[in-house]
Amino acid sequence: MVPVGWYMALAAALFLIGALGMLLRRNALVMFMCIELMLNAVNLTLISAGRAMNDLNGQVAVFFILVVAAAEVVVGLAIIVAIFRRRATASVDELSELRG
Amino acid sequence: MITPPEISWVAIAPDLALAIGAALVLLVDVQWKPAPRVLGWLVGAILAVGAGLTILQWEQGADALASGDTESLVAFSGLITMDGFAIFSRFVLIAATGLGLAAGWRFVVSLGRRGAEATALVLLATTGFSLMVAANNLVMLFLGLEVGSIALYVLAGLARERRESEEAAIKYFLLGSFASAVFIYGVALIYAGTGSFEILGIRQHLNDFVISSPAVIYIGIGLVVAGLGFKVSAAPFHTWAPDVYQGAPAGLVGYMAAVAKVAGFAAIARILLTAFSDLADTWLPVVAGISVLSMVLGSVLALVQGDVRRLLAYSGVAHAGFIMTGVVGGATDGVLFYLAIYAIQLVGAFAVVAVVSGPDGAGSSLEEYRGLGRRSPLLAGAFTILLLGMGGLPITSGFVAKFGVFTDAWAQGYQWLVIVAVIASVVAFAFYIRVIVVMYMDDAGDEQPLRVGPERWVLALAVGATILWGIFPSSLLDLAADALPI
Repeated sequence: MVPVGWYMALAAALFLIGALGMLLRRNALVMFMCIELMLNAVNLTLISAGRAMNDLNGQVAVFFILVVAAAEVVVGLAIIVAIFRRRATASVDELSELRG
Repeated sequence: MITPPEISWVAIAPDLALAIGAALVLLVDVQWKPAPRVLGWLVGAILAVGAGLTILQWEQGADALASGDTESLVAFSGLITMDGFAIFSRFVLIAATGLGLAAGWRFVVSLGRRGAEATALVLLATTGFSLMVAANNLVMLFLGLEVGSIALYVLAGLARERRESEEAAIKYFLLGSFASAVFIYGVALIYAGTGSFEILGIRQHLNDFVISSPAVIYIGIGLVVAGLGFKVSAAPFHTWAPDVYQGAPAGLVGYMAAVAKVAGFAAIARILLTAFSDLADTWLPVVAGISVLSMVLGSVLALVQGDVRRLLAYSGVAHAGFIMTGVVGGATDGVLFYLAIYAIQLVGAFAVVAVVSGPDGAGSSLEEYRGLGRRSPLLAGAFTILLLGMGGLPITSGFVAKFGVFTDAWAQGYQWLVIVAVIASVVAFAFYIRVIVVMYMDDAGDEQPLRVGPERWVLALAVGATILWGIFPSSLLDLAADALPI
């Protein structure tokens, strides 16, 4: 059996990839996908930790995070589509009208 | 055999009232298409029911605490508490919602048929944050945080006819979801390290066992603090705040900023001071560092802003630093008192912004405030008192709040932090005074008095609270001192 530490390490790597992508990419849709990747890394961490401790709480928590992620998709895509309709771009660099 | 969980209706009664109220607003709007006035009374009644139920909870919680029966304060198998801390924060949230909606009512009316959606979203956001401050379980806390935050993302983009509102919404959404993901990863690591999501369970575990993998827990605490630090716009996680405050509909910014700060800080205080009180040596330096950075960066950057909304955003960053000194001080009553005072002042200040630059506009250049003292003396007077209260002038409530958190931090042995905080407060005074000078010393280009709508009630209450609790703070201080977490 693969030791649980490997799953946690994989999750940490996925989370880092997501966080780096969030910071480096400039397309709103890709940034959004990176957030989803981070949330799924969290899910993997919770599942493997729960399995290692023989505790159901961690596995149940995953369902709540899935639901939250779905709600975020609904609102996030709506905002991105609204912006794309008006400006025909999803690059966050074009969004720089607010400054003081 | 599945045992059904025990359901304590008392513990979630105010949240239930707000959530049902939100559904009711939407249904009534679809069925009868009521006039804005009717809708306003309906929302007012819903908030009054929520506030009344919260006061009833307070009585019950006080009885249970007096008899030493803390077990009965935890409901839903440990998901929700109804301790004084939760009930006090919840009451502040509901009060800020009422004031914030009154301040933004002209914007809600201007939305026409979409006005009911806006009010329903406001009620839902308050429901989420209210569950968040009462959560005794980190997953429950995350759910409350997300229910509130997602509603706020939509509210930021509600004036979608304006490009700035869209921009504020996408910035708030992307950075906000990023922070939420960071927060929940921290929760997952804490779970991996301690085997529990429950705040009391984590404390128990840290008490009973020698921690086998402290690094995992330390990283977890760091990520949780970073995620929540974003929500309260503490530096270095504050970059979204000026843009969102500037672009979102003016009427609702005060509400959005106030509830997010109250709920975020209540969660930070509960997690750090209750669950991780045994690891205080580890997180105290980090929180003190965030506090210093927020105070210095917020105060200095606010000095160079030419837009009142951005100025208030950076002053909010500085205030996040001041409240953090209360967390370092380790006393929840100082933090709660500060949050209550600041939430009211913030909503009041943005009510003035909504009057001066229109309820749905973007930005609020300092130029627009020129000669406001002559144009609308009452409005300018109210803004002056609120700004001086935020600055912490003696005999305003802001002074009492700052004094409280600073003495707590001093007693905890963080004298250097208090000295930095006092210097930052003095610097902060400079930019509040700058706005006041512009209002009174310069000539107005336009002598026409401004039209003040329902904002006048918000301003009257906010100014009254600022002066009243500045001179007689003990009534609120006593309540905050009783509002202890379990």
